[in-house]
Amino acid sequence: MEESSSSMCNFSVLESMNEKSIGEMEDSWNAFCLATEALHGGDGDLSFASDFVAHVRVLCSLGLESLIVEHFLCSMEETFEKNGASKFWKHFDAYTNPAVLEMDDADQQQELQDVLHRALEELSSEKQYQEKCLLMLVHALDMCRQSKSKEQTYSDAERNHLFSKYQLTVFSVLMASLPRHFPDVLHCYFKGRLEELSAMMATNCENENGLQENDGMDLDYKGREMDIDETHHQIANLGNNKLIRNIGVVVRDLRNLGFTSMAEDAYASAIFLLLKAKVHELAGDEFRFSILESIKGWIQAVPLQFLHALLAYLGDSKSNEIPASGQKSPLASHPSSRYYRTGTPPEGLVRWQLRLEYFAYETLQDLRIAKLFEIIVDYPDSSPAVEDLKQCLEYTGQHSKLVDSFIAALKYRLLTAGASTTDILHQYVSTIKALRTIDPAGVFLEAVGEPIREYLRGRKDTIKCIVTMLTDGAGGNPSGPGNTGDSLLEELNRDEENQENSSLDDDVNTDDKQTWINAQNWEPDPVEADPLKGGRHRRKVDILGMIVGIIGSKDQLVNEYRVMLAEKLLNKSDYDIDSEIRTLELLKIHFGESSMQKCEIMLNDLIDSKRTNTNIKATIKQQSQPVPDIGDEGLSLADLNATIISSNFWPPIQDEPLNIPGAVDQLLSDYANKFNEIKTPRKLLWKKNLGTVKLELQFEDRTLQFSVTPLHASIISQFQDQTSWTSKDLAAAVGVPVDILNRRIYFWINKGILAESVQDSGDHKFTLVDVLVEDGRTGVNNGGCEELLARDEDGESSVASVEDQLRKEMTVYEKFITGMLTNFGSMALDRIHNTLKMFCIGDPPYDKSLQQLQSFLGGLVAEERLELRDGMYFLKK
Amino acid sequence: MATVNNNGPNQDSNPNTNTVASAKQTIPVAKTVDTQSVLKRLQSELMALMMSGDAGISAFPEEDNIFCWKGTISGSKDTVFEGTEYKLSLSFPSDYPFKAPKVKFETTCFHPNVDLHGNICLDILQDKWSSAYDVRTILLSVQSLLGEPNTSSPLNNQAAALWGNQEEYRKMVEKLYKPIA
Repeated sequence: MEESSSSMCNFSVLESMNEKSIGEMEDSWNAFCLATEALHGGDGDLSFASDFVAHVRVLCSLGLESLIVEHFLCSMEETFEKNGASKFWKHFDAYTNPAVLEMDDADQQQELQDVLHRALEELSSEKQYQEKCLLMLVHALDMCRQSKSKEQTYSDAERNHLFSKYQLTVFSVLMASLPRHFPDVLHCYFKGRLEELSAMMATNCENENGLQENDGMDLDYKGREMDIDETHHQIANLGNNKLIRNIGVVVRDLRNLGFTSMAEDAYASAIFLLLKAKVHELAGDEFRFSILESIKGWIQAVPLQFLHALLAYLGDSKSNEIPASGQKSPLASHPSSRYYRTGTPPEGLVRWQLRLEYFAYETLQDLRIAKLFEIIVDYPDSSPAVEDLKQCLEYTGQHSKLVDSFIAALKYRLLTAGASTTDILHQYVSTIKALRTIDPAGVFLEAVGEPIREYLRGRKDTIKCIVTMLTDGAGGNPSGPGNTGDSLLEELNRDEENQENSSLDDDVNTDDKQTWINAQNWEPDPVEADPLKGGRHRRKVDILGMIVGIIGSKDQLVNEYRVMLAEKLLNKSDYDIDSEIRTLELLKIHFGESSMQKCEIMLNDLIDSKRTNTNIKATIKQQSQPVPDIGDEGLSLADLNATIISSNFWPPIQDEPLNIPGAVDQLLSDYANKFNEIKTPRKLLWKKNLGTVKLELQFEDRTLQFSVTPLHASIISQFQDQTSWTSKDLAAAVGVPVDILNRRIYFWINKGILAESVQDSGDHKFTLVDVLVEDGRTGVNNGGCEELLARDEDGESSVASVEDQLRKEMTVYEKFITGMLTNFGSMALDRIHNTLKMFCIGDPPYDKSLQQLQSFLGGLVAEERLELRDGMYFLKK
Repeated sequence: MATVNNNGPNQDSNPNTNTVASAKQTIPVAKTVDTQSVLKRLQSELMALMMSGDAGISAFPEEDNIFCWKGTISGSKDTVFEGTEYKLSLSFPSDYPFKAPKVKFETTCFHPNVDLHGNICLDILQDKWSSAYDVRTILLSVQSLLGEPNTSSPLNNQAAALWGNQEEYRKMVEKLYKPIA
C-alpha cells in the first residue's frame, strides 16, 4: 500500500517516521547522491555499483522511489549538458563562419568529416554510458520491487517511459544549445559524401559497362523500370562500402540523438542540390540529345542507391531508436525496417524515387522553358530537347509556365522591328512544329501563336514573304542566308509525300492522279484531333493552315501568289514552267481547285504560247523561205518568242508606252499578223515594255552580251546611229518620260557603255563609250559576258503589286466611308463593316475582314482624316 | 416598263404590299425583276455619287434599306447659307427612276421654297422630274436652290419677304440654324 501511493504522499510518510528512521534515511539519501554523482562522473568504472544498488534499495523501501528517479535524471541531465553537449558543440566551433563551409577543397571536407565522426562518436559513447547507468537504476528498482512482492516487477511500460524521458532530455539539451550553423555543417557533410558517392558510382559504371562512350555519367542504359533485384545486386557491391557505412553511422548517431528530421533535411537538400547540378550539367545548352533518360538513370544509380544503402544499413543495424513522432518531418521517409526485413521494396524508397523524379522533371522543364526560344530556333535539330520537355510537362502539368515565358521571350527577341519577316515566319513555323509535339491539342500553340500572328498582320510584307517561302523555298530575301531547311515548299512537298505514302496504292506513275484525289479529299484538321491516334494515319501538322490563319483568308495569299507567278512567268524566255506547275499543283491541294483557277490559266497560257510560237515559226519556215531576212541587222522571226496571255485572268499589267526600234517593231507586227492568220479572229496586242531582250553590243575592240528589258534595249539601240544624246531627246525618241529614262539609263552607265555629262543647260548628255577605258570601275571583261536580268535591280515590276491593287480598292472604300460618315455622323466599326458589305458591291466587291477594315480605319485615323472616340468613328473636321 | 404600267395604281404604297396586291395578277416574277433593277440603279447611283467627289453634297442609304437615304448638303460659298449644313431625307419609290424620290429637309431650313416641315418646292422633284436625273443631280439642284430661291411661289412667305435684305436674312439663318448632332 505504501509503495503504490508513495509518489503522492511522501510527506505523510515522513510524518509517520520516527527520528531514527529519518536519520537513517538522510544518510542513505546522501550516500545515494554521492553514488549517483560518482556513477555519472565515472569513466565507466562500475565498482561502486553494488553500493548504489544497496542505497537505492534502502530508499525504495522508504517509499522514495519517484524521488530517486527524479534526482537521477536531473543529475544525468546536468552531466550530459556539461560533459556531452557543450563538448560536442565545441567541435564545430571552427565552422561558425559559413564561408568556411563553402570552401570546396578536399582537405576541408576530410576535416569536417573527421570532426563530425569524432564528435558524434564521443557524444554517442557518453550517451551510451548514461543509458547504461539508467539501466542500472532500473535494475536496482526492479530488484527492490521483487524483494517486496513476487508479483510486482518493474514493467516494460515504465521502463520505456523512463528511457523516452531520458531521450527527450538529451534532445532538449542538445536543441537548447544548438548552434545556428549546425544544419549547415550537416548539409555540407552530406553534400560532400554524396558527391564522393556519385563519383564512385560513375567509375563503377564505367568499369561495369565498357561500352559507355560518354563521360561515364551517361547512365541511360538503365531504364526507369530498373527492378529492385538489380538494385539489390548493386547494394551487395556497396553493402560493405565504407563510405555508405560511415554515412550510415552518422545518420544513426544523429537519429539516436533525436536529430532525425534534421539529418533527413540535410541529406534531402544535399540530394536535391546534387540532382539539380546534375540536371544542369547534363542539360546545359545542348538540345540535340535527349537527357531525360540519363537523368532518370542517374537518379537510380546515385541518390536512390545511396538511400537504399542507407536504409538497409539503418534497418540492419540494431537501432534502439525510440520513434520520436514529434520530430518526424513530413519529408522524411522514415526507415521502416519492418518493410525492409520482409523483403518488399521499401515504401520510403519508392516515394523517394517519385520525389526525385518529379524534382528532376521540374528542374529540366524550367531549364528548357527558359531556353525554349533557342530550342525552337534550332528546331528540327533540337527535337530531342522538345521531346524531353514534353515528357516533363506531362509529368508536372505546368504548361502555363511555358506559355508565359515563351510569349515574353518572343516579344522581347523576335517581334521587334529588327527581325525580318522571313525570320519571324520561320520561327513561327518551327514553333508550330515544336509545340504541336508538346501539346497536341493545340491550345497552348494557340496562345503562343497569337502574338506572332498579331504582329505579322501588322507587317506589310507578310503575305509576300509567305508566298515567296511557299514557292521559292529560299526565304523572302534572296540575298540573305536562305534557310531552305524548313521552307514552306518543303512543307508542301512533305505533306504531299505523306499523303502519297499513306495512300493505298503507292504507284509512282499515278502521281498526278493521286494529287487530284488528294486535292479533293483535303480537309482542314480539327484543332482537337489527337495526333497519337493511329500510327499509320498519323496526323500531319497543318502548318499551312496556321500560316494562312495569319492573313485571315486564303484569297489574299492566292492573289499575292498570282502576282508573283505572273512576274515570274513574264520574265521567262524559255517556256520552262515545270517547277511552277509542280508548285501550283501542291497549292491546289491546299487551297482548292477553284481558287487557283486563274493561276492555272496563266500556266496554260504559257503552254499554249509555246505551241503557238512553234506553229508560227513553222509556217514562216514553210512559206517565206525565199524571203530575205527582215531588217538589216539580221533579225528574223526565229529570234522572237512570244508569251501570249489571256489578260483577263492575269493581274493588271503595267503598261508603259515605249518606242522600240523600227525593225523590231516590224518584226512584232509580222508576228502578230501570223498569229491572226492562224488564230482568226483573234489578234495579238503587244505589251512592248515587257519581256526580255538578248542583245549583243559590238564595239571596235570587244563584244558584249546582255539580257535586258525592252526599255534598256531601246535606249542602247538609239546609240547605234547617233553616239550622243541629250536626255530630253533620247526620252522623246524612246517614248518614255525623262525621269524614267534617267533612272533606266544608269544601267548602261554602270556597265561602262555610256558616259554621262551635265551640260550648261542643265540637261544630261549621254555619249557612247566606244573604246573601253581601263579605269577599273567598269569591271567589264572582254569577250562575252552574260548579264542577269537587269529588271530587278531597280525594283521595277511588270505587274501591279497586290499592294497597289489593294490601295486602289481601299480608295473606293474610303469614299464610301466618308459618304456614310458625312450622313450618319458617327459609326461603330461593326456598322461601317456591315454597311460596306451591303452597299459597296461594285467591282471588286467589299470582301475585307473586320480586322482589315479596322487597320485601314486606323490608318485613316493616323492620317487625321478620321477620328476615333469611344469606339465610334467620326470625320475629322 | 410594262410592269411599271401595270402597277400604276399602287405605285405609292411600299413594295411589299405591291407584291401582295399583284400576286393575283400573276406577275410577281416580273415585279421582283423590277425591284432588282431599281436596286441596281440605286446601287450604281451610290457608286457614282461616292466616286464623283462633289464638294458639299453627299448621301448614303440607311443601314438596311436602300430605298431610304440620308443626304447632306452644305450651303454654297458666297450665299447666306455659307457655313451651314443641312440634312435631307430621300425616299425612293419602288418604280424609281420613273417617279421622283421624296426629298425633305431634316434640319430646319429658313428658305422661301422650304416649308416648316422641311418640304421642298422644286420643279424637278415634282412635275419636271425625269428619269435622267439621279441622286447627285437632285442634291446639286437642292444645293443651288439654297442660293437661288424662287421667291415668286414661296412656301415660306416670311423668308421670301426677307430675301431682299441679305444681311438680315443671314442673321435669320444663323438664328434658326440648328444642326443635327
